[in-house]
Amino acid sequence: MDATSSINDIIVGYAKEKGFHQQTLERWLNLAEADREAILGLAQGLKPSENHLRDFLDWLDEISLRDGLSPRDVLSSEPLVRIFSDPRLSRSDKLKRIKEEVRRLRFPRLSRIEDAIQQTVRDMGLSSRIQVIIPPGLEGGTVTVQLKSASYEELKRLVVELGRASETDRARRLFELLRGDG
Amino acid sequence: MTPILARVETRMANELQEVVVEAGSEHSPIFRNLKRALPHVPFTVVEDPKASWASLAGAHDPMGSGKKRLFLVRHRGEFLKKCPGSEGQVCCNYFVVNFASNCPMECSYCYLQEYLANNPALKVFSNMGDLMAEADRLFSRQRRFFFRIGTGEITDSLALDPYTGFCAEVIPFFAAQPNALLELKTKTDRVEGLLGLSPKGRVVVSWSMNPPRVIDDEEHLTASFERRLAAARRCQEAGYRLGFHFDPMIEYPGWEADYREAVERIFATIDHRRVAWVSLGVLRSTPGLKRIMRQRFPSTRLLAGEHVSCADGKMRYFQPLRVSMYRKMLIWIRAAAPAVFVYLCMESKEVWQQVFGFAPSCEKELGNQMLARE
Repeated sequence: MDATSSINDIIVGYAKEKGFHQQTLERWLNLAEADREAILGLAQGLKPSENHLRDFLDWLDEISLRDGLSPRDVLSSEPLVRIFSDPRLSRSDKLKRIKEEVRRLRFPRLSRIEDAIQQTVRDMGLSSRIQVIIPPGLEGGTVTVQLKSASYEELKRLVVELGRASETDRARRLFELLRGDG
Repeated sequence: MTPILARVETRMANELQEVVVEAGSEHSPIFRNLKRALPHVPFTVVEDPKASWASLAGAHDPMGSGKKRLFLVRHRGEFLKKCPGSEGQVCCNYFVVNFASNCPMECSYCYLQEYLANNPALKVFSNMGDLMAEADRLFSRQRRFFFRIGTGEITDSLALDPYTGFCAEVIPFFAAQPNALLELKTKTDRVEGLLGLSPKGRVVVSWSMNPPRVIDDEEHLTASFERRLAAARRCQEAGYRLGFHFDPMIEYPGWEADYREAVERIFATIDHRRVAWVSLGVLRSTPGLKRIMRQRFPSTRLLAGEHVSCADGKMRYFQPLRVSMYRKMLIWIRAAAPAVFVYLCMESKEVWQQVFGFAPSCEKELGNQMLARE
């Protein structure tokens, strides 16, 4: 048995054990050998669900089309290796953070705007009882503001705080970023 | 003849293996026109064509295989229907009439690859008389309503016209209607069949436009930018009003210069006062379409755009990016053609608001705005 068929056998066995769709398995097996192996390392190390694995396959494929980086190049990049080997992180934390990193590479401009919006919200210095929720993918262009209050007095205080915050340049900046004017 | 002009014709001449005719359809004008235009292609008359097109589903590439055989069949059911639009998006109150199904060209992003995946046969409907009778009943019943009707929903309006003669059959009918406007939407330059007809202001010929780079990379077998533009000019000179659809707009490094140049070239060639409308819409896909695109066009870079899932289930460039694209296009269009009517296709009220500073309150408002420009 050569190395390729051995890796393929391991991938087929893994996909079978996890009950993955044939379509997912075929995409995985159609990758170049080094990429197949890199995905296998990711799967064995982080045990992603099939949906997560499909996201990885999609995003890595699309990064490769756009930037010419192979899935192995991306998965062996320094930030991802550091997360993967961090002993302080649980497996699910590693999966979450690695997925965030790959998403950041896949959607660089969207991520930059999301980061700028999150930073602007933090800079507004609102208390933890006021939450500014940004729509997924910035789609819709509207923010949801949520107040949590246990009393009438607290509600009044939060409304005043929010009112003051809404008068600042930071609040305006938030909507400029959402409109793409940033 | 340049290789680009020859593309779709080459497919029809060299790859079309057979015309399958449903028994009874051989008496139609479309049959007569096909026989005359495709003398080298064998014609087979069958009682039930469904068995033939059902076999396509098992082909290695059903969509590609579907384009190699032309079916001339009767259309059962209604020809005219309201454009389905997209859920939750601003709609322009458009009607569609389907005289054919599928298209001989091969755009990598074409939504028909998914929409017609289970029914990919290239079909032309033979009962044109029924189409016109149905339209006549509808227009007569609602004389106070003005209908905008397009034929380019599930096929290209003109790609098959040199073979079917469809336009010569229906344009005189639409030219005589007091309350209907027909839009023929195309990526070809196959306008020969239109030039000798009199549209009487009731027919808009419109082109789906993209910069040459996008056409070369993604719109396979279609006419080049130059040929589309030359064909548009010929139609304008023949008395037709024109439309241009920058749809789907593609974002890539350098897109601004390419699209700006495309806009400037169009309005340097065309009299913008006789342009009925220009629409803008970015690339849209679904997870299913992306899967098919990966199989059929594995090297297309369209899949690598920064697309996110929208409220209607379609994926588009994320909102700030596409709003910025629309705003730039609007500035370039306004600079070249100040009075031309511009609208967005399949976009939300929020996006309309951010691009134009207003959003139509309802579909009738947008439809009426378009017609008010006549």
